[in-house]
Amino acid sequence: MAASFSLVGWNRFKRSYDFALILGVALFFAAHLAAGFLGAPAGQAPSELQVVIRASGAAAFSLLTFILCIGPMARLTPRALPLLYNRRHLGVTCFLIALVHAALVLLWYHGFSQVNAFISLLTSNPRYGSFGGFPFESLGLAALLILFVMAATSHDFWNAVLGPRLWKALHMGVYAAYGLLVAHVMLGAAQGETGLAQAALAGGSALLVAGLHIAAGRREAARDAAETEPADGWLNAGLAADIADGRAVIVVPPEGERIAVFRDGAKVYAVANACRHQGGPLGEGRILDGCIVCPWHGFQYRPEDGCSPPPFTEKIQTYRTRITGGRVFVEAAPQPPGTAIAPSLIEEAG
Amino acid sequence: MNADTAAMIWLALGAYLGLGLLIGLGVAAFGLARLTPGAAHMPWRVRLLILPGLAALWPVVLLRLAGVRAPEDRT
Repeated sequence: MAASFSLVGWNRFKRSYDFALILGVALFFAAHLAAGFLGAPAGQAPSELQVVIRASGAAAFSLLTFILCIGPMARLTPRALPLLYNRRHLGVTCFLIALVHAALVLLWYHGFSQVNAFISLLTSNPRYGSFGGFPFESLGLAALLILFVMAATSHDFWNAVLGPRLWKALHMGVYAAYGLLVAHVMLGAAQGETGLAQAALAGGSALLVAGLHIAAGRREAARDAAETEPADGWLNAGLAADIADGRAVIVVPPEGERIAVFRDGAKVYAVANACRHQGGPLGEGRILDGCIVCPWHGFQYRPEDGCSPPPFTEKIQTYRTRITGGRVFVEAAPQPPGTAIAPSLIEEAG
Repeated sequence: MNADTAAMIWLALGAYLGLGLLIGLGVAAFGLARLTPGAAHMPWRVRLLILPGLAALWPVVLLRLAGVRAPEDRT
């Protein structure tokens, strides 16, 4: 949260997460290097550097595929949520591996040219007007630049400086980077630089990412469609008794952001569903020690006024609630961020 | 693409990031508190960590220093 900034807010979970990440990357490299050396036909063994180039490219692509699968997986099953909490470390690792890949490509394929290696990278294949012959290296370079900007702005400081909306929009660039990388791998295969198996894996990975996003989108659309239409500007959030203590239901107004309706004992509150940090779904979090805790990164807000507890300064919008006939109703129009609103009491409903 | 065009692209990219690095060093040293109060006492190792971002997004950083923010972020 925004009171001060540290390098990494380490905790036991993050250490375990990063340990698993490093172990996974190391195992991937080991398997890829072994396959590269042992699986090559006799007399056609690639050089050590070529194998490392392919392993690093495959590792970066696979990691990015995994990163893009985490979001929709977390929407489809809460069991995937822990993968989401430290996703930025995956992103930075992905960029660093891609950077190693690019540096080795520059060294091995362009470093011994009489032309400057950077110039050679962009001009060694001049078929920019061709579809199948398009220089796939340029696509990889464009993706690397996008990944750089995202890795460089992954610290919480950037969320505070850019604001959640711009930060989020900037980081949606990951989809552009992924599209460029899919084309990079498939064109590389078409031009004989990598095998058809890699092209098939890249295509299959892209289909997996697209399929998971479509499945998660359909589930959310079905949930949104099930919401009750508003009456007199108030939205039906369902029976108060159906809201688990310390948890929330999410209500979708006809316009604007989703609303998280929390129950804390006999009290019912409503706040904006989007966390000020990275837009995490507060309604999928819980109330702990009197504060709503975002399930993504643990940002906290008081349910009664939408303010983060001191010394933090984040604020979210709050909403008026009422309980009629055991049902919770939420006013569709939000109050300004940080506005204190008295809770509705479940005991009063009867 | 010919060599001259390729050289222009790298030159433009290098000039953008080089200028950004200079501006970023200045902001990291003297301007962070104006960007967000929480950064006033940021340790130097964190300032180094955010330096690549300052170099990459220096036009946005300068706008923020000038007080330009999106309406939804003025809370």
